[in-house]
Amino acid sequence: MEVLAQIFNTELLVATIRLSTPITLAAVGATICERSGVVNIAMEGMMIVGAFTGLIGAMFTGDPWLGLLFAVLAGGVFSLLHAFATVSLHLEHVVSGAVLNILAFGIVRYMMVMIFGHPGTTDPIRFSLKNYQWAIPGLSKIPVLGPIFFNQTPIIYFSFLLIIFFTFFLKKTKLGLHIKAAGEHPLALETIGVSVYKMRYTGVFISGMMAGLAGAYLSIENAVSFTEGMSSGRGFIAMAAMISGGWTPIGAFIASLFFGFADALQVRLQVALELSIPEELFIILPYVLTVVAVAGLVRKSRAPKADGVDFMIERPE
Amino acid sequence: MKKARIIALVLLIMLVAFGFTSCKKEEAAPAPAPEEKEAALPGDGMIAAMATDVGGLGDKSFNDGAYGGLKMAEELLGTEARVVQSKQQTDYVPNLSGLAEDGADVVFAVGFLMDQAVNEAAANNPDTLFAGIDIWSNDASPENFMGIVFNEHEAGYLAGIVAGLMTKEYASASDKLNDENKIGVVLGMFIPPVEKYEVGFIAGARSVNPDIEVLSATAGDFVDQAKGKELALAMIEQGADIIFHAAGLTGLGAINACKEEGVLAIGVDVDQNSTAPDTVLTSAEKKIVQATYLAVESVIDGSFKGGTRVFDINDDAVGISSFHSFDSVVPQAVKDAVDSAIADMKSGKVTVPTTRAEIGL
Repeated sequence: MEVLAQIFNTELLVATIRLSTPITLAAVGATICERSGVVNIAMEGMMIVGAFTGLIGAMFTGDPWLGLLFAVLAGGVFSLLHAFATVSLHLEHVVSGAVLNILAFGIVRYMMVMIFGHPGTTDPIRFSLKNYQWAIPGLSKIPVLGPIFFNQTPIIYFSFLLIIFFTFFLKKTKLGLHIKAAGEHPLALETIGVSVYKMRYTGVFISGMMAGLAGAYLSIENAVSFTEGMSSGRGFIAMAAMISGGWTPIGAFIASLFFGFADALQVRLQVALELSIPEELFIILPYVLTVVAVAGLVRKSRAPKADGVDFMIERPE
Repeated sequence: MKKARIIALVLLIMLVAFGFTSCKKEEAAPAPAPEEKEAALPGDGMIAAMATDVGGLGDKSFNDGAYGGLKMAEELLGTEARVVQSKQQTDYVPNLSGLAEDGADVVFAVGFLMDQAVNEAAANNPDTLFAGIDIWSNDASPENFMGIVFNEHEAGYLAGIVAGLMTKEYASASDKLNDENKIGVVLGMFIPPVEKYEVGFIAGARSVNPDIEVLSATAGDFVDQAKGKELALAMIEQGADIIFHAAGLTGLGAINACKEEGVLAIGVDVDQNSTAPDTVLTSAEKKIVQATYLAVESVIDGSFKGGTRVFDINDDAVGISSFHSFDSVVPQAVKDAVDSAIADMKSGKVTVPTTRAEIGL
């Protein structure tokens, strides 16, 4: 019983939030992107670009908030390559995404060597966003919910707000509805005089900024230095979360929480249980659960109709 | 039309990609020949060279360590130190072979990523000796190649003694320590060198503190800082107050967790104190400088031979780093315990276990 209390406690839920936040951000970003009709498997690469740029920004300006801004912009700008390739040049979306993932790691390696003289990891920064952890007066005193939702670091608060914002954005705003139309029936959208290209560019750009934010979380909020490969597959797990979440921001959030919970749980099980079970079994637990969840839920969720479908319009020059 | 665009894009991307990785082989100017010394040194006229891995000089890790060893040999043995920096993995073989063709007597490769390259270069240059730091020689390795590896468990054992004593007997020495008598170890992937570190650490801690509880968990990754941090946080929550990591870059997350939560960390492989000076108590270290120096010495005295050479405590090639700012915190009794453990290992009185099975895990 004592062991159970060591594993199942509020800290488990706080750890769930910590582990799921980067996945949530990327999954919500990918959701917007795919709703606009562009498949984006380059979230991993955009995340690593964001993580690296965020750290560089924080290191050379001394201000992690500027680092955050750099990360979001860099993610957004890098994602424009994907938009250009898929929307303007009509390249197959998966091919472009795969190329960008490789390119992202190459660029980061190159910049590491240029700036620090070696690949691998950077020097630590003095102030990270963790220094701006804020317990909301009053609310943070609520048992269980307080520490989980109201005593957090900045990007975690942002992620909560962004989930609400993008849910509203897709349902109620004109731009959001246009983006959805670009992914469902682009020709209809073009017919009413709205540029599908613009909507798809917007969708991809938003996903790039969200991936950049997720990267910044990894390098300058959760950690104090950048490590090559530190995104460690989270961009791909975000794709799974997006699909099991049925291409909605709330669904993506819940699916990411599920993965984060499974991961936090296996960490605790490893530490608390002194069983001679190979650790690999613990480590794969969240991934196995994700596969099961995707397999189980994917039938119920429906992808946007024109997701990944090229849209070309010949305009009189 | 569409096809032409795709081709144009692919070409563009390739151009960019090649632009970024284009081989910029910068050969560091060979060090000037050592000035005439009064007494002839045994290695005069010999050249000991190294090719870095892509980490290059300035990595504060294995490359710098190997270069330090070559400089030490230059100073004490009279060999000329030469270094070539590799910018990318495809430089490895040409750099290693190039040094051999330029007349180096022994060529060092640094890091397990150069495993294949150094074997290939050694096979192509049978008249030159090659050594690989942190590389095992295998059945197919040529006779002129020596792998240099380390007894990680002996370094782990010493770190374990420090942690085992500090967490209980001398917990009052630092306000970062509690009276739970628990410590933790964060592992990267469960592979033999990591297991050796872990088992040595646990054995060392138990040798001075039989009731100690050592929490252990594996990240499954050597680069995922967030995972390393979570593992450490879970241990700290359970009451661990000193956390050792054998997890490569994943371990940086563990050190960061210790820093945030105000407990102590123990680094690995190299002196990691600079990562978090007020948190890293010491590091379980592979003394690359010493091992490289000894390897050069073995070339001069003719004892260099193919196969794998394990550097251990008898070579002073494994150990723990200095305590830096904790020097005044760590009681003399702990330092004495470390010294006597080193003496015991050297005299063969203590043999450090290397596998979990040996310590009943």
